[in-house]
Amino acid sequence: MFVRIRNVILKELIQFARDRLLTAFILLAPVLQLILMAQTVERGITEQPLAILDLDRSRLSRQLIVDLDNSDELQLQFYVDDYERIRGLLDRGDARLAVVIPAGFAEKLLAVRPAAPQQVQVQVVTDGTNTMAASVTTSAAANVLSRLSSDLADASGVVVPELIDFRTNIRFNPTMDVRDYTVPAQLGFIIYQVTLAVAALGLARERELGTMEQLMVTPLRPFELTLGKGLPAIAIGGLNFGVMWVISLTVFGTPMKGSALLLAALSLLFITTQVGWGLVLSAISRTQQQAILFVFIQAMVDMTFSGFLVSVKNMPEILQTIAQFVPLRHYLAILRSVMLKGAGLEELWPNAAALLILGVVMWLLGLRAVARQLD
Amino acid sequence: MSPRRLVAIMRKEILHIVRDPRNLFLVTVSPAFLLVLLSYVFSFEVQQFNLAVLDLDRTSLSRGYQASLTSIQDLDLAYTVDSYEEIDPLLLEGMADVALVIPPGFAAKVRGGQEAQVQAIIDGTDPFAGSQAINILTSLSAAFVAGAGSEGPAMARQPVSVLTKAWYNPGLLSLHGMVPGLLAIVLIMPTLALALALTREKETGTLEGLMATPVLGAEYLVGKLAAYIVTGLVSALLALLVAVLWFGVPFRGSLGLYLLLAADYFLACMAAVAVVANFVKSQQTAMFIVLLIFIVPSFFLAGLITPVSTGSLFSMLTSYVLPSTHFVEISRVVFLKGLGLGPMLQPALILLGMGLGALALGLFSFRKKVG
Repeated sequence: MFVRIRNVILKELIQFARDRLLTAFILLAPVLQLILMAQTVERGITEQPLAILDLDRSRLSRQLIVDLDNSDELQLQFYVDDYERIRGLLDRGDARLAVVIPAGFAEKLLAVRPAAPQQVQVQVVTDGTNTMAASVTTSAAANVLSRLSSDLADASGVVVPELIDFRTNIRFNPTMDVRDYTVPAQLGFIIYQVTLAVAALGLARERELGTMEQLMVTPLRPFELTLGKGLPAIAIGGLNFGVMWVISLTVFGTPMKGSALLLAALSLLFITTQVGWGLVLSAISRTQQQAILFVFIQAMVDMTFSGFLVSVKNMPEILQTIAQFVPLRHYLAILRSVMLKGAGLEELWPNAAALLILGVVMWLLGLRAVARQLD
Repeated sequence: MSPRRLVAIMRKEILHIVRDPRNLFLVTVSPAFLLVLLSYVFSFEVQQFNLAVLDLDRTSLSRGYQASLTSIQDLDLAYTVDSYEEIDPLLLEGMADVALVIPPGFAAKVRGGQEAQVQAIIDGTDPFAGSQAINILTSLSAAFVAGAGSEGPAMARQPVSVLTKAWYNPGLLSLHGMVPGLLAIVLIMPTLALALALTREKETGTLEGLMATPVLGAEYLVGKLAAYIVTGLVSALLALLVAVLWFGVPFRGSLGLYLLLAADYFLACMAAVAVVANFVKSQQTAMFIVLLIFIVPSFFLAGLITPVSTGSLFSMLTSYVLPSTHFVEISRVVFLKGLGLGPMLQPALILLGMGLGALALGLFSFRKKVG
């Protein structure tokens, strides 16, 4: 039995190594992708182009402009003379945000002391096509304005004590480093794609090229074929994980607060689960094309419910329930918790148990599908 | 290049696409299908945070403070804990996103006009959510103080008021921003179909049959591309209908311009894939390439969720090399801004340049192999 499994594994590895481009792609592309994406998302939403229409041209308005320019999210790029220009800049997407300082801005705010200053309205116009960037930049501008507001109120003698002194204490990622948050997620995504895709094509390819019939006449039993197909895929996934994990720690300085052994064990569990699912997809597909179609739809669904791009806990109950069946979701939670929070099995057992159950079910389904094929 | 043979190749390809239901689905319906799926998920606007409160004061004022924090939908009072030690596990397990500690003597101090310290402990693993939570808590606390604490005129403390306007998407509806952007991603599916078709001819040996006919390499490639671009346009139209009729996204631009630029986008993606397919032996590898080079990076780098990072030359280059980056921009302009070609000229020309460049490269490398 072991000899037969070994032979299937050997056959798989030889076939894999023969397609040089595929080998290179599976081993190198993930690493490249990680480096590329981590480089790019590192900074979050910063230095968005800002346009200013200053109708006041006073010392106070210039101070406001400097403050806006100094905020991390905004960068002054256009200083315009009339409102129409703003339209043009936003139309072309050259500016993300425009701030209009009205005439009489300084005069109204500074005039009558020590009585309460008059209220003035500052207009903030944003390009709403990218809603996330729009809300981040408008709230950055609003913050600058409200700081100016309180400074003015203080200066004008209306002393309002801040009755609640608000102290924030940020846990797990004190500097709120975007990269520390995204790198573990990217790591999970990349391992996910590779494992699923490697596993999903195995049987469909044999079928399409007619080699399945040759396998049928050998004394191979279904579980031997399943294991022989699955183990190389698991090994490839494990290798990918190891390399990329080391890169995350050394190149990107991602913290590793929890136990490396636990992370490795749970990663192996995830990879095994994912390979099981890939085997099911490949066993039910008639052609590679169909398997690929399945993988793509599957990948889109999984990315959606992974909790990275969109937060799962804000979805309606029914979708949250569906998300429980997505292994990637559990794995991303594990990666983040172990690496950034230092969580152990006490906290993570629900995710680990879910992965285990999903894995067992998928391998059983895969086994059944393979058995049906071999008949 | 003979037009007759070109048309024959195109006819053959279109026949292949229409005859095989799976291929037909992949080329025409799958983008619309995926758009529905992805849009539903990207449209949840409310970001709700689970709040854990440790109230060491236990007065009516501290309870009032809690009530004022949870009066809006953004914060959900999920846990009330009795000791500091209980907070950590909640954050660790991700059950709570924010923990608030109200110190003893909170009410006495606030009533006496003194400053009372409140501590908020925030899960910073997701920096976007974390800073949003801080903003919400800070503004709600300030509002509570203004309401219950002082008698000072509210206007005096906020002399500058802010009027925010979001052009093109006045309610800042994320659905309206996301659906046009997601179109760029789902419209990669026809390109995937082409990649598979090109490699399948090699894998199953039908390419050799074609080589024996008088068809030139250039005719084969151009005919194939044209067939997939034309059928791809059907998918672009279907996806557009889904966006407008199903999701109610406003379409303010011109339909003709949208289709023209979609063809431009297909040309850039498909010509690139045609070059790559020259060196690829199996459908499996072709799929990997489309998945790893086109689809996954598009989610992160194309400006779909966060804008293209202009922080370094390197990250800008990686984003601008992706055709989807340009189509995300084009699609949002056509849908929401409703402008003419003017503002889109740059991305449109970049796509055209990419497409023609890749096509030339593809023709060059392909001819060699045929001969």
